[in-house]
Amino acid sequence: MSVVVVKDLKKTFVKGFWRKRSVALRGASFAVEPGEIFGFLGPNGAGKTTTLKILMGLIKADGGEALMFGKPCGDPSTRRRVGYLPESPYFYDHLTANELLDMMGALYGIDAATRRARGRVLLERVGIAHAAKRPLRSYSKGMLQRAGLAQALIAEPELVVLDEPMSGLDPIGRREVRDMLADLRTKGTTVLVCTHVLADAVTLCDRVGIVVGGIVRDQGLLSELLSPQILRVDVLIRATDEQRAGLQNRFDDVEFRSTAEGTLASLPSKEPVNGFLAACIGEGSEVLQVTPHKETLESLFIRQAQEGGNS
Amino acid sequence: MSVAWMRISAIAKNTFREASRNRVFAVLVLFCVGMMAFSIVLGRLSVHEEVRVMMDLGLAGMDLVGVVIALFLGVNLLSKELEKKTVYAVLPKPLPRWQFVVGKFLGLSGVMAALILAMSGVLNLFVLFVGGDVTELLLRAEALVMFEMLLVIAIAMFFASFSSPYLSAMFTAGVWMIGRGSAELEALAAGKLADSPARFVIEGLLAVLPDFSLFFVSGAVVESARVSIHETFVPWLFVLSMLGYALLYSFGALAFAAALFQRRDLT
Ligand SMILES: Nc1ncnc2c1ncn2[C@@H]1O[C@H](COP(=O)(O)OP(=O)(O)OP(=O)(O)O)[C@@H](O)[C@H]1O
Ligand SMILES: [Mg+2]
Repeated sequence: MSVVVVKDLKKTFVKGFWRKRSVALRGASFAVEPGEIFGFLGPNGAGKTTTLKILMGLIKADGGEALMFGKPCGDPSTRRRVGYLPESPYFYDHLTANELLDMMGALYGIDAATRRARGRVLLERVGIAHAAKRPLRSYSKGMLQRAGLAQALIAEPELVVLDEPMSGLDPIGRREVRDMLADLRTKGTTVLVCTHVLADAVTLCDRVGIVVGGIVRDQGLLSELLSPQILRVDVLIRATDEQRAGLQNRFDDVEFRSTAEGTLASLPSKEPVNGFLAACIGEGSEVLQVTPHKETLESLFIRQAQEGGNS
Repeated sequence: MSVAWMRISAIAKNTFREASRNRVFAVLVLFCVGMMAFSIVLGRLSVHEEVRVMMDLGLAGMDLVGVVIALFLGVNLLSKELEKKTVYAVLPKPLPRWQFVVGKFLGLSGVMAALILAMSGVLNLFVLFVGGDVTELLLRAEALVMFEMLLVIAIAMFFASFSSPYLSAMFTAGVWMIGRGSAELEALAAGKLADSPARFVIEGLLAVLPDFSLFFVSGAVVESARVSIHETFVPWLFVLSMLGYALLYSFGALAFAAALFQRRDLT
């Protein structure tokens, strides 16, 4: 059974005296399976945060379904099994990190001794144990993000929902968060993480969903989503002007460009590669590097965003 | 300890902590103390009336400052949490929204009780200083002010559950003023406005809204007897019944607040 099921979710915000409308979700659907790290990707304003807020029962959908553990998402009993890190989190800034974790633990109904023990471990783990007794007011953005991560994990939830967990973190912090999420996966925790940092998604996620303009346009294994087709092959050679002119004559669909490292030849597909390499060697020029280019998550993302913008 | 109570008290404790670390309240309390000190001067002007002036002005000042603080605390129920985004981390916890509302109320009531106790203590000292006695009557009047504040907080929270802080403050202040002027309004409805439709509006409002004049009775007529803090004041039984009155009304206001809050989108 899927841990999270979102089916045809719709949400329109109606604001102010003039009932100004802004459509956030136009029928988004996706599912998160047990034990996986699911990346929820999309450009700014795509509806990621809105979807997560509906799942957390903070706002109500206009239509469609949002289920966690098979139950409607507003249900407090299912929320006991979920940890949530809001987008750019901000906590009661008069509290210290210790007090924050204690309070959040109490809201989960955890007894005082367990709260204290877990709090200590978690603050150590997210790397702010040294500031545990300082009020959150004195925290930097990245430290707050870490405190937020700790409070999301205080109840040892089966499902962790993170809205942009990497924002505000330095490279070391990002790395630590990635490691923590990988740890969670080994423990069997399901993770739903929302991000637009594609590099993180590639290294972290088992499956991704790409939301654009309030619709999930694609979801699945990263390897499936990215077409395996090779888009072009770049060959870097060291050739004299003469040799280059010769190659240009024989291969008129290859583009040549001079770079600092040598001449870069772009072949439109992988078929002519062998012939081209043979010709280079025949001409006496040196082959430095051959790079096939597949579709990247970035190009998929941009393609989806553009198609979404056009439709 | 039940889990529900654990959650409510976690919210209450946090609310109390937050408000008690707010400097604005300290300033307001100082203002109140200043006002009491000023009434020493006024007392001197009216020969032999020092104690009387001190009690009257002190109670009035405490009441006014109290209402301002209660209003401020109550209308901030949500707006501040939404503005600071703190609520997004709290409400996704397995905590029904009504427990959040009740926890907030208890926390704010705790703050208010502490403030009123502090101001009462100062007033009592001033009364002793000008040569009066801290009579039981004075304590009764102070207790009434405290109960009044609980009710103001609950009403402010009711309005804040569905409207902006500014509107909530205005509505709450309106309700408080109508309640305070209930005797005058009643007389107006029965007299000048007896033949106009406004009469029904006034009578309807007075029937629904709490009667705040009952919490500040010195110098007024209660149950057709004139009461005064300086001679014959309302008995403890009356004070107790006003606690019941405040709690009952607060319960109603909070029930509505919780129901409205439940339906609200927290965007
Ligand atoms: N409270 C709100 N009132 C009105 N419109 C809103 C509100 N919240 C979101 N929206 C609109 O809904 C759409 C989706 O917003 P959402 O915050 O879900 O985007 P997002 O995918 O999280 O973007 P980002 O990557 O910038 O965080 C946006 O067009 C936004 O303008
Ligand atoms: Mg967002």
